[in-house]
Amino acid sequence: MTVQHHHPSYADRAWQGTVVVEENVRVARDTYRIRFTCPEIARRVLPGQFIMMRLAGTNDPLLGRPLALYEVVPDSGGNPQGLDIVYLTVGKMTRRLALLRPTAPLEVWGPLGNGFPPTATEHLVMVAGGIGQTPFLALAREYLGLQTYGDPPRQAPNAGKITLCYGCRSSEYLAGVGDFERIGVEVRLSTDDGSTGHRGLVTDLIRPVVEQSSLACRIVCCGPEPMMEATAKIARELDLRCQVSLERPMVCGIGICFSCVAKIHDASGRWDYRRTCVEGPVFEAEDVEF
Amino acid sequence: MVASGTFGYAREMAGLVDVARLGGILPKTITRDPRAGNAPPRTIETTGGMLNSIGLDNDGIEAFIDRQLPYLAGLGTAIIVSIAGRTQQEFTRLAARLEGIDGVAALELNISCPNVSGGVDFGTNPAMCEKLVADVRRVCSLPVLAKLTPNVTDICAIARAAEAGGADALSLINTCLGMAVDWRRRRPILGNVLGGLSGPAIKPIALRIVYQVFQAVDVPLVGIGGIATIDDVMEFLVAGASAVQIGTANFYNPTVSTQILDALPVALAELDAGCVADVVGTIEGNDEARMTNDE
Repeated sequence: MTVQHHHPSYADRAWQGTVVVEENVRVARDTYRIRFTCPEIARRVLPGQFIMMRLAGTNDPLLGRPLALYEVVPDSGGNPQGLDIVYLTVGKMTRRLALLRPTAPLEVWGPLGNGFPPTATEHLVMVAGGIGQTPFLALAREYLGLQTYGDPPRQAPNAGKITLCYGCRSSEYLAGVGDFERIGVEVRLSTDDGSTGHRGLVTDLIRPVVEQSSLACRIVCCGPEPMMEATAKIARELDLRCQVSLERPMVCGIGICFSCVAKIHDASGRWDYRRTCVEGPVFEAEDVEF
Repeated sequence: MVASGTFGYAREMAGLVDVARLGGILPKTITRDPRAGNAPPRTIETTGGMLNSIGLDNDGIEAFIDRQLPYLAGLGTAIIVSIAGRTQQEFTRLAARLEGIDGVAALELNISCPNVSGGVDFGTNPAMCEKLVADVRRVCSLPVLAKLTPNVTDICAIARAAEAGGADALSLINTCLGMAVDWRRRRPILGNVLGGLSGPAIKPIALRIVYQVFQAVDVPLVGIGGIATIDDVMEFLVAGASAVQIGTANFYNPTVSTQILDALPVALAELDAGCVADVVGTIEGNDEARMTNDE
């Protein structure tokens, strides 16, 4: 088992600078996709990594916010030159971010964090809650051989099948379902109110997918903490490997402030606070003390 | 310089910042024993600043010497080790342990962290402050900076005490004690309830303290508190700081320190100054009013 927290991912290949907003469009309720050109980050970023984004020219809000890569935007030659970030408006910064129009400046630094490691997988089961689907589009595209990531481009083994189990409060919050379906990902949906798909928890969808699959499954998960904890438990019961992408209140994104810590077990089984920005955000679920 | 607790152990920043250009790096405060730190949430943004209650999360002095110091010593800049103890003896043992170790340029005594129990008394009680600095002085020949807390009634009394104890310089200021509340849940937001306020919001407090202490002591002052631009730096220098540390701004603009270094020559030239020393404490003003405010 990979113990990733022994190899922190420092910002050694990160770039910091000001970029210009090209698009900022609503894709679902309270949910937007922002696009900017930044080849320095786009050609290095890996699925599961994040970018720190900060509003330019203001001290209110003061701090940047970590937002996951949604997808890279290739140039005419197919090389990544831009970034798409999908975000939910939850607070002061993201609400103001949603107001930015094309040509607005934005301060960014990244790519940051470890991202998902390339792992041989027959059937990748992606479990997303709320806005937690955002790290998975790039991951799916990589495992389906549609896009390479990193500089030099890393080789990821193809997955035979990918399923996205995706749950939201109601159908109006579902964002980017078509993006997944278009590339051949099987999408299974749940909503709290039953307005689309299964009425109930997204974690209810996991067992049927695994039990119906004739392939060896592996789980990746991103979403609210209780949902990730429940997914980790199901994975343990099914004896499946599971990785979770943790979200903790983050300030710097680069490992210097020690804000975003989570309880992570070491090889001896004891927990210590580990920085999710440089030792995560992706952890083996069994290493996380929820 | 970059302030303790805002630059990690420099490894984190080496890919983004040309650290050899810095006047010095203050790694995250070291304690005798490893500390897990406080329960999350550890930080919350406030208007123009942030509160933190990290709680001196660190692996202890021996791990620091084994794993961090050899790396730090090779960075080509001064390494000023920030230490904190709960007792006089913890401070002196830490100082003695760092004596003679390659790569340590100076010590900064963190007698001002609001997020741990014990130790902060050294920054609020003048007699304890003087004795602590003097005891550290006795066991260690390295230059000693005392980092003071603004959370006192009379900062000049503490500053004079640190000077009398033999401090070579004073670092002003650590964070201002504060709080954030979630009224809907009727709960404090930070895991440790109270936290230290930092960032642009505290710059006027830090400037006031540098200005007051400059009148009260002869040792050089290091200005800290909300510095994020070259203008901020110049304000601190003119108010009486001989050097500055960048803190919270590293969190939201990782390359801020070298951006400021780039801008420094132009700003000094604007005051017809050839070097930083030419502008330190050159603030002019109504002497009578200044004395009144001092009392």
